[in-house]
Amino acid sequence: MIEVKLKCFSQVKYALGTDEMTFELEDGITCSELETIVRQTTEGKLKDIDLRIAINQEYVKDDTELKDGDEVVLIPPVQGG
Amino acid sequence: MVKVEIVNGRIIPFPTDNDRTDEGSELTFNGRVRSIEDDKEITHLEYEYYDGMAEKELRKIAEETIKKYSVHDLFCKHRVGKVEVGQVSLHVVIWSKHRKEGIDAMTHFISELKHKVPIWKWAIHQDGTKIPSDCTHQ
Repeated sequence: MIEVKLKCFSQVKYALGTDEMTFELEDGITCSELETIVRQTTEGKLKDIDLRIAINQEYVKDDTELKDGDEVVLIPPVQGG
Repeated sequence: MVKVEIVNGRIIPFPTDNDRTDEGSELTFNGRVRSIEDDKEITHLEYEYYDGMAEKELRKIAEETIKKYSVHDLFCKHRVGKVEVGQVSLHVVIWSKHRKEGIDAMTHFISELKHKVPIWKWAIHQDGTKIPSDCTHQ
């Protein structure tokens, strides 16, 4: 098993109602599998929202495998400017 | 050279520079908070950011921009936290030899910023409700 921290911003924070969550997951799980779990947790509140994924402050591909201690962010469309 | 800063508080603009002799163009962009967000009137915006990654992405885009457009310097400040309507949330200055590469660099830099830098807006409405903005402009 691995443990990862999910930091939440914008629509993800709004949908989950929290800044941060910790997940205990099976070894070998990918980012997109975690994204599916999070989307299910929010009961459709993230349905129309595209999410990109960052691990330890770098954008990664959806099929990247998570490792123990990773900090993960599901990044909704950004809005700087 | 690039300078990027995430600022929590009013933005103090970079000073105009009369000592530069190699740059014919000094281009400044100020992005301000509008009174209408997602078709509703707001009192202010709150900019949320991913501490660490926002600065890193901003710097990466700035460095890539000066290389791609051969501009000399790009300085940028992005404000976070509460920003009142009318106030500056983004301030960028680009110095280049000629105006064309400066204008192209500015367009590219802001477009990339709006696509990659993890910063988000929360709209605060007249009745006090606070919701993530739907507003995205690439």
